[in-house]
Amino acid sequence: MILTDVLGSRVLNSEGDLLGRVADARFVLDQPPGQLLAGARLQGLIVSPHSAGSFMGYERNDVTRPWPIAQILKWWHRGSFLVLWEDIEIMGPETVRLREGFTAYHPGLQGAGPGQAPQR
Amino acid sequence: MNRPRNTPTSLKSPPSVGGPVLDAQLHLLDRQVIDVDGLPVTTVDDIELEGVEADLPISLGARAPVISALLTGPVLGTRIFGGRPPSSRLIRLPWHDVSAVDVTVRLGVRSESLSASWVERWVRDKIIRRIPGGKHDPD
Repeated sequence: MILTDVLGSRVLNSEGDLLGRVADARFVLDQPPGQLLAGARLQGLIVSPHSAGSFMGYERNDVTRPWPIAQILKWWHRGSFLVLWEDIEIMGPETVRLREGFTAYHPGLQGAGPGQAPQR
Repeated sequence: MNRPRNTPTSLKSPPSVGGPVLDAQLHLLDRQVIDVDGLPVTTVDDIELEGVEADLPISLGARAPVISALLTGPVLGTRIFGGRPPSSRLIRLPWHDVSAVDVTVRLGVRSESLSASWVERWVRDKIIRRIPGGKHDPD
């Protein structure tokens, strides 16, 4: 499957209600190591209720500068949440359907990101 | 687009994980790819996932998909006009060749061994080499 097919897809709950669109996909480098770097497992999808794209990720980190830009983009992506792979029932280019009783998590990156990936 | 009405109001803290976390848009897509000698190779245009099929139901407890390759290819036109190139036009950079993800994506192999750099090699061998003085470094 090609990832950009899923980015921007409509996200529905089990009743078919629209929750937002896929803004990003989150991976964790915790799989058995390959030759050089650990395998990257899909942890879940970032869902944004207001925008199909995520610009610079201000809503996912603690960056506050430049202040006006940070405020505008954080507001633009207000209500974004992370849904884990276990709660995804169907994933496709048009829609992503979540399982009944899915759990929404805070989308923050908790300090991870470029430069954090270890070199083996 | 219809406005979402039932977005979750309370969010839990995400579960702790056993490794670094990467968001595709923020940390992988559009990043420059550098080979083991520090030479630029290409940029990451897309990501290939292994272990999930589009629009097929995912069984409860199924293993999560993993990144099998980073993809690069002729995406300029499709970015302007929409869609994406067919999968056959995309060139794969296997994930097992990636050595680190930083400001750039670094590979542990030389670009000469990758199909992603075939255009550059073709131009070098077929055009640059035939120009007088094109077979050696500048003096």
